[in-house]
Amino acid sequence: MFALAITTWNGSNPAADGLSTGQQKLTIQLAGSRQACERFCDGLKRGLREGVGDVGKMRKVVAECYSEYLCSTEGKRGIPISKDGKHSGKSRGPPDAGLGMVFRYPGDQRKLRDRSKMRLWDEYLRDNGRNLSLVRQPTFHKLIRVGLPNRLRGEIWELTSGSLYLRLQSPTLYTDTLSKHSGGQSLATDEIEKDLNRSLPEYPGFQSEEGIGRLRRVLVAYSWTNEKVGYCQAMNIVVAALLIYMSESQAFFLLSVLCDRLLPGYYSTTMYGTLLDQRVFESLVEKTMPVLWDHLVKSDVQLSVVSLPWFLSLYINSMPLVFAFRVLDVFFLEGPKVLFQVGLAILRINGEELLDAADDGALISILKSYFARLDESAHPRSENEKLRAVTRFQELMVVAFKEFTGITQSTIDEQRAKHKGAVLENIENFAKRTSIRNLGPDSKRLSADDLGTLYDRFYGVLYERQQRMQMIQEENERRAKNSRVRVTEPLAGTAAAANESVEKGRVGLGPSPTLMDYDGFREFLAGMAKWAITDSPSSPLRDALSEENHSYFGNSTKSRGNSISPWGDGNPEPADHEFMRRLFRRWDTDKASALSLQNVVTGMAHVKGNRDIMSSISYFFELYDDDGDGKVDREGILRLSEALLFLSRRGLEGSLTPSTSTSGLTEAENVGSLEGDKRVSNDEKFLNSVSAFIRRCFEYADPDHPQNQDMRPKKESQELTIRGPKAASGIEGDGGDDLLDLGISSTRQAQPSSPSAATVTATAGAEKEKKKVAQLPSGPSPKDFDRDGGGKSPRKFSKAETESANLALDPANPLHITLPTFRMVILADELLEQFFESSFPESFRLSDRKGAAASLTTSTSLTTFSSLGFGRTSPSGGAAAARITTPSISIPAPTATASAPGAKGLRGVLDNIVSDGMRVASEVKRRMDEAQRDMEKNALGRGGGGDDDDDDDDDYEGEGRRGQGSEGGRGEGRRGGVREGDRDLLGGVEAEVGSLKERTTTTTTTTTVTTNQEGEVEGGDNGLNEARMGLGIDVGRRRDRRGSSATEKIIEFER
Amino acid sequence: MSESTGASAPKLSSSVKLVLLGEAAVGKSSLVLRFVNNDFQENKEPTIGDTAAFLTQKCSLPTRTIKFEIWDTAGQERFASLAPMYYRNAQSALVVYDLTKPTSLTKAKHWVAELQRQASPGIVIALVGNKLDLANDFNSGGGVGASGSNGIDSEGLNTEDEENSGDARKISTAEARSYAEEEGLLFFETSAKTGTNVSEVFTAIANAIPESTLKGTRGPGGTSQSGLGGRGDDTSRVNLTGPRRDVGAKEGCAC
Repeated sequence: MFALAITTWNGSNPAADGLSTGQQKLTIQLAGSRQACERFCDGLKRGLREGVGDVGKMRKVVAECYSEYLCSTEGKRGIPISKDGKHSGKSRGPPDAGLGMVFRYPGDQRKLRDRSKMRLWDEYLRDNGRNLSLVRQPTFHKLIRVGLPNRLRGEIWELTSGSLYLRLQSPTLYTDTLSKHSGGQSLATDEIEKDLNRSLPEYPGFQSEEGIGRLRRVLVAYSWTNEKVGYCQAMNIVVAALLIYMSESQAFFLLSVLCDRLLPGYYSTTMYGTLLDQRVFESLVEKTMPVLWDHLVKSDVQLSVVSLPWFLSLYINSMPLVFAFRVLDVFFLEGPKVLFQVGLAILRINGEELLDAADDGALISILKSYFARLDESAHPRSENEKLRAVTRFQELMVVAFKEFTGITQSTIDEQRAKHKGAVLENIENFAKRTSIRNLGPDSKRLSADDLGTLYDRFYGVLYERQQRMQMIQEENERRAKNSRVRVTEPLAGTAAAANESVEKGRVGLGPSPTLMDYDGFREFLAGMAKWAITDSPSSPLRDALSEENHSYFGNSTKSRGNSISPWGDGNPEPADHEFMRRLFRRWDTDKASALSLQNVVTGMAHVKGNRDIMSSISYFFELYDDDGDGKVDREGILRLSEALLFLSRRGLEGSLTPSTSTSGLTEAENVGSLEGDKRVSNDEKFLNSVSAFIRRCFEYADPDHPQNQDMRPKKESQELTIRGPKAASGIEGDGGDDLLDLGISSTRQAQPSSPSAATVTATAGAEKEKKKVAQLPSGPSPKDFDRDGGGKSPRKFSKAETESANLALDPANPLHITLPTFRMVILADELLEQFFESSFPESFRLSDRKGAAASLTTSTSLTTFSSLGFGRTSPSGGAAAARITTPSISIPAPTATASAPGAKGLRGVLDNIVSDGMRVASEVKRRMDEAQRDMEKNALGRGGGGDDDDDDDDDYEGEGRRGQGSEGGRGEGRRGGVREGDRDLLGGVEAEVGSLKERTTTTTTTTTVTTNQEGEVEGGDNGLNEARMGLGIDVGRRRDRRGSSATEKIIEFER
Repeated sequence: MSESTGASAPKLSSSVKLVLLGEAAVGKSSLVLRFVNNDFQENKEPTIGDTAAFLTQKCSLPTRTIKFEIWDTAGQERFASLAPMYYRNAQSALVVYDLTKPTSLTKAKHWVAELQRQASPGIVIALVGNKLDLANDFNSGGGVGASGSNGIDSEGLNTEDEENSGDARKISTAEARSYAEEEGLLFFETSAKTGTNVSEVFTAIANAIPESTLKGTRGPGGTSQSGLGGRGDDTSRVNLTGPRRDVGAKEGCAC
């Protein structure tokens, strides 16, 4: 048995005024092993040492306690720290004990026997310490149960609720907050202002500026310190009540204890705590008073319409104030369960009458009249005088704390946990309903289902992200091994509060994030559009690389557990593409760098709600029209095409012309492959379309240069004529293919009409040789494809000179396309048209759950590539052939898989294709810049009409020269040159029709002859890959080096 | 005044649940207080759904007596999720906005939408622009005092149509009226402070409640018509003088 003697602070002040109670000595007997005792003492010592810093604050804090004045001993028996510190004699006037000191306290002092209560408390405080050093003896509780004396009430509330310790922690927080935000305005301050004049208006203190001013300051200060809660009606009433008994800063801290701990979620923006506790209360009624409950249910009476305000404003508005304060006395001491106990007691006492109540109204009036007579005798007709003296309120207290003593905090916690889910769901449904309904006119463009999905996705992403961030943060903290001792005050309700932090961010819990940043937006998109899923996950699936990981981490399980993906488990990692950034910026109409649900819905409505293709096209165009001048420049055109590629790289949604080829497939593969075939042909055709798109964009682009302006009308008129040839051309196949060809022929037609073009031809004959049209890919028509099945399908290569296109890359000739041009170019191609008509809008899959979308993506892309047997040539492979080697459509998947290099599997193939394509495109851009610099440098030294317009392409020539060093290279020969010495992408891409012909073994789709700027590829095995690259390169490569008129024709191969 | 509250013995008497909705501080409680108590308090406590938010008042019609059970709700946004609790089973609703405050009409529209979709199907909704006393055109409106001595009926409203955009008025009568017509709502502009049109609102609602008080399926559009029919009758006036048992408990402070 060990003992520990502690001398507390009070009594040690030499400047005592004679009333000193002397030193307070606490003797603690420790029963336990020596070790345990030592541990305790060590802990105590540590605590004391930490508390030393607070001694300074303590003075100020304690000075506001009425008990100090009451006992008028100088002493602060503060935290039991016995050294240092003198008392600064401060017992001048009494400290602020609320408005009641000025405007009188409610109730009749004599009836309340305030004086005798005060005497008892004085005694107690002298014996057992006061404020911070008070020791709670059993009498402490009894004294509180009978009601606190007015002047001590505030202080004891502060003490029992624990808010005193908050105040001790940051004594100046209240005044600091006020001065920091002085003059500040917010929604909360506006709302507060509205209610100031209507908070306990019957109390004289609140008819004065003094009282109103105090109320305003406390509410405003709190709203700034807890902006998530801000201000909630009912707080005004509670605070007004508190202010009658305590100072402003006391009330301020007590309010925060109320909001954070005692009434968790009551005043939050969704008031879920209020609703939850109503549910809990109802379930307690059902449990303890089943008969009454049955009756209420039967008469369809909703109990909460009566009981909700009891809880929300702590009975202050329901009972006469004097009684409400009595309830509060116990409430702060014993916690939230008191509210339930009192509520149950009210119903129990009025049970008989309530059983007669047939509707809400009757219920209410019974209780109202009950409250009005709380001061009357509970047993007016009793013989027993003592019994007669018992007031209804006393009866209520007895019933509450005797009969419902079984209702404990753990009962409440348990019930809260049980009902929380349902209550939150209710709130969330309500919020969703309301929010969707109020989304404004744009939302009407989307279906109700779509809106619901958008809502769910939006908040789902926000919620999940927040959870994840928190988990990651906690993980980090845990790792940091920050083992700080947390002082948790022994407060009821703490458990529930802790519980909450886990679920932070849920809509129903109140202020949840409502804005989505760009990362969130990416995740949001990835959940519904497959193009928004990244191709190169930064944290690859562990399964795929599990073996390697084992070696790195030794313990794979551990490593798995340690890393939390920032995108969540099992979620696809979103891509990060310029298109997405543009979309984000476009939707971010408030320029907040974050999207609200409203932004997202409006944005989505414009993408998906467009029922006509024209607005889709305009929308897309505007996305790239950065300055809103109706023009998209060269850079923009390239970006546009990149975006088209980006969006299509996982295949297109919707109704692109299907082609079916099932020959050679086993039954099992049938379905998937069917899909795959379609996809492939569509994909490739789409590539071609995009390729053609770029070409045409440049063809029809308007020069920015003023002197070139006169060109435009002509071109436009030609554009019109294009349609003729198109129809007449009668090229086999249909749709996109024709259009491609058409584009070319129109280009050719355009050339002669342009005077400058003629000049070019004349003056730049040599260059012309080099000019080469990229092989315009034209896929087999679906019909053909179908016809020939797995075998060979007719192939058709269009090749034409499009000198004009070269201009596109001439940095000296800035150009742009306008919306009409863009539209025209889009509409000129069936696939692109379809893309804007349906694929693009449909690529946002609202009704699909993200899981479905993700799996769809994976499976189909696998099917696609495997069934086609696409292998991937590694970039360094250096295959020289420009061709597609797809031996047969029906090559089974395993083969393809085997041929795919790298461990990434087929998915990697796809990824690489796309990234290659994009890389090429960006390389083109880079080259262009280089070229420009180069050209500027060499401008003088170069002949050949660098300033020629439209159809000219001298800078091309320049590049070609620079890069190749020799112009002699022609055809195949040149290709070699390209690979070796020429880093110049622009000049480096050539393909010979002839060679193509020889090499092409493909049965499907199109070929674009490409050269990889790294010099390794002229045609990989992978047709798609090639095609993609070709696309990028196309831009830069418009030179037909043969320059022969023969090549100006569209050449078709059939094999 | 023409009839005393209790004198409705031979008539059919039915109770009608009415809920008040609207932004904070538009005057919901004041309207009720005026209607029930013929009283106006400058500083009415905010309604936080406490028991005083439930009041009753009888309204005598030629053929029947309607006992309104009035549920007043808190207007602050975050209380919105509590509203379903109050408009549950309501046969009528008063959606109040402050005609000096545009946002309050927006909020009122939200409430109308909510009610139309979530409340009982046949609910009669009245849109009420309160604080008419703050509008310049108020005095031209016929000067209906709190006494309501000369049975002003809804036609009295027409005088307000020629609104000359009053001082504080921010929402024109025409704008609100056209919205109300679109949605099939009863429409009034009132002043709880002076009493203008207050009883008319309740009378109109009483008239619009379908005969089969319980779950009448007549839509609000139709009922607004029927409401017009009965209002010219002096006897349809609401008794504003009867003592109300439910009033006053709110200020239950015993100090």
